[in-house]
Amino acid sequence: MAGDSRRSFLTGLAGALGALALPAALRPAPLLAAPLEKVRELGVLRVGLYADNRPWSWDRDGTPSGIDVELARVLAEHLGVRADIALFPADEELSDDLRNVVWRGGLLGFQRCDVMLHVPFDRQIMAQEDNVVFLAPYYRESFGAACAADIGDCEAPPVQMHGKRLAAELDSIPDFYLLGSFGGILARDVTHLPSGYAAVAALGEDKADFAVASRAQIEAALADHPDAAIRKRKGPLPAMLSPGWDIGIAVKENSRSLGFVLEEEIMAMAADGRMKTIFARHGVEWQPALAAQPSAS
Amino acid sequence: MKRRFSKLIAVLAAAGSTIAVPLHAAGPTSADLMNDAESTGDVLSYGLGPWQQRFSPLDTLNADNVSKLVPAFAASLGGEKQRGQEAQPLVYDGTIYVTGSYSRLFAFDARTGEKKWEYNARLPDAIMPCCDVVNRGAAIHGDKVIFATLDAHLIALNRETGKVVWNKKLADYQAGYSATAAPLIVKDMVITGNSGGEFGIIGEVQARNVDTGELIWSRPTIEGHMGMLNGRENGVTGKTGATWPGDMWKTGGGATWLGGTYDPGTNLLFFGTGNPAPWNSHLRPGDNLYTSSTLAIDADTGVIKWHYQTTPHDGWDFDGVNEFIPFDATMNGKPMKLGAKADRNGYFYVLDRSNGKLLGAHKFVMETTWANGINLKTGRPNYVDANRPGAPAGPDKGKSVFASPSFLGGKNWMPMAYSQDTGLFYVPSNDWGMDIWNEPIAYKKGAAYLGAGFTIRPIAEDHIGALRAMDPKTGKIVWEYKNAAPLWGGVLTTHGNLVFTGTPEGYLKAFDAKTGKELWKFQTGSGVVGSPITWMQDGEQYVAVMSGWGGAVPLWGGEVAKTFKEISQGGMLWVFKLPK
Repeated sequence: MAGDSRRSFLTGLAGALGALALPAALRPAPLLAAPLEKVRELGVLRVGLYADNRPWSWDRDGTPSGIDVELARVLAEHLGVRADIALFPADEELSDDLRNVVWRGGLLGFQRCDVMLHVPFDRQIMAQEDNVVFLAPYYRESFGAACAADIGDCEAPPVQMHGKRLAAELDSIPDFYLLGSFGGILARDVTHLPSGYAAVAALGEDKADFAVASRAQIEAALADHPDAAIRKRKGPLPAMLSPGWDIGIAVKENSRSLGFVLEEEIMAMAADGRMKTIFARHGVEWQPALAAQPSAS
Repeated sequence: MKRRFSKLIAVLAAAGSTIAVPLHAAGPTSADLMNDAESTGDVLSYGLGPWQQRFSPLDTLNADNVSKLVPAFAASLGGEKQRGQEAQPLVYDGTIYVTGSYSRLFAFDARTGEKKWEYNARLPDAIMPCCDVVNRGAAIHGDKVIFATLDAHLIALNRETGKVVWNKKLADYQAGYSATAAPLIVKDMVITGNSGGEFGIIGEVQARNVDTGELIWSRPTIEGHMGMLNGRENGVTGKTGATWPGDMWKTGGGATWLGGTYDPGTNLLFFGTGNPAPWNSHLRPGDNLYTSSTLAIDADTGVIKWHYQTTPHDGWDFDGVNEFIPFDATMNGKPMKLGAKADRNGYFYVLDRSNGKLLGAHKFVMETTWANGINLKTGRPNYVDANRPGAPAGPDKGKSVFASPSFLGGKNWMPMAYSQDTGLFYVPSNDWGMDIWNEPIAYKKGAAYLGAGFTIRPIAEDHIGALRAMDPKTGKIVWEYKNAAPLWGGVLTTHGNLVFTGTPEGYLKAFDAKTGKELWKFQTGSGVVGSPITWMQDGEQYVAVMSGWGGAVPLWGGEVAKTFKEISQGGMLWVFKLPK
């Protein structure tokens, strides 16, 4: 049901108006409006973002920084309120994060947020999570690779990197890819780092030769280390375990009113170039989500 | 300076009190703690003595009169903070000390149940604990009562006032570390293990000066990590990376989250270690030492004297933290120094505690699909390779495997007891299995991820929980009590031919230690997942237990949840005695 209404909406901005109208018809208006009005009344939009998730959201000398942080500030400004950015540690999997951040809150007093950004936008997950509403897919992410300056052909099959220093984020698909693919031949060459960004940055510090990370992590680390001559691999990685995924936002099930207003603004940002500008400030080329492209459905 | 001051306060407080005997003002010494199994007027340590046999020599209360047992009083932990109450209380000098969920410590009057003081650790709100907000108990020494907190601190409070004497960080909670086990005090040192998230952490045992909290030694549990003694390097654990590919030993896991036991005779500490990381065993070929093992550690130096690995190359999250309980018995006609462990993997191991040699391994659950017995010569399991969860291979759903026990284990954290009268171990076990498969789509920290999906389900018609009396010499199960819901509380046995344990359905129950006949039960109003104790006070024998349903079980749903979905939360200390 959620999937069906999404499909009509995702075909374009005009569809969004239709999606807005649908739940309004199903629910009494005052109840629907409450979460949005509460945010306006209190003058604060509390936004949950992953801690240590550069270039999306991280703590730069005590100030939350990154693409998602800037996006959160624009959304708050659009509502005419202040943004309260809550950087939270990732739990074991997405459904834990949604419980801690979006619909219940933490057991030890972490207050749930009005909205969480950087939420994977996936139909199967939507069907499982009935306490939250997934909206506004705003970016298409995928995994890629990068090479240190002096490592030769970056387009070579990864097996040929055997014996070189390989870097990946601990406990991630890039990690599993390097450890487990090609009969495990690369496993002993893998250095584990706390983030994909750090894995790519290590290429510029002579600590690694080849890194697998997300595209945003690669592009941001390249931009931040212009003198290191790190190279981004152009071709796809053979036998990569994920084809890529969309990223959107999530609000609590009873906060659709707020979610739809935020979605409308995000779509407007995508359309008028503001989204592209924010990403570019962090060295990342904005890629529209597959689900937000008319051809996708 | 600060310490002397707090001691002075304690002395003054004791002097002004009509109940406290001056003898008690100084508090229990390390020698008193070593004698806790014999001293029946108090309960000074987790497990009733360093061996933690949970055996009391008391018999005033016994199989003949236990049916008359009634509540003396109850005390609430109050507030809105309920959830799992897994603690074992301590009793000393007319006071019951008990830890509560959310890293709280309470002191109650042992005669009336009136609250003397309460300490609430201030926890950072960003902690997201994996498995409920439990705490399993405190330790007592001198003028202090000491416990560990969810943000991985160790806190010593003045036992008379509840004021902080010292507060030390055991590890960085922001790096995923936590602490829930009861500390162990040996030779004026507080010995602790650590807990933590699934990935990137390293198990460790630490010894600290009980008066100051300063670190004396530390011993990491994974090959290649450096131990410390008095601020100096004291040798790496094992051989660096010998049983791990690449740099994976750096993040190998092996948390010591359940604490340890101690044998004064050999001066060895016994700590179990948790599962290796990452979860997918195909990515880390090798034994992955010393995960899923029992380590024997020299109490003075923190050096590992022997190890025994129960699940080499663990692929089921069996973990090996279960308590290793020393006991003496005659085996093959020879008096021996032994130790026993009922592992999460479903096998009950008996080792020579002086050298770690395997002497016996017997199944204590209905079914172990992952192995056909343990090879007594090699000490290794006879693996059933077809039943190891498969390697994830891209976006398709991997092969589903049925595994028993489930990852919650044939026995989880809840401690068993050993009766010196019957020579039997009383093992709180669970018969359940799990379907485990590779998740086609999973996400972690906003990125695609390969996880494992699983469903825990019962494997018997009539029960999940089973309290089993096991003969450690033969592996024979002498009797068993079956319980509909999973058992999740500790066991106590006494010279009065009694065995006590709690059930999620809310009962504290007493059984005949020889026959398993149920002799008494009392409904506490919420699930019992704590460990019972007993002591003598004013000529009467008391029994106490915490009530408050929670822990890891309610976090997992499925078929199993049907057995406990009607159970309410709580947070009560219940104290019982015979009517006069």
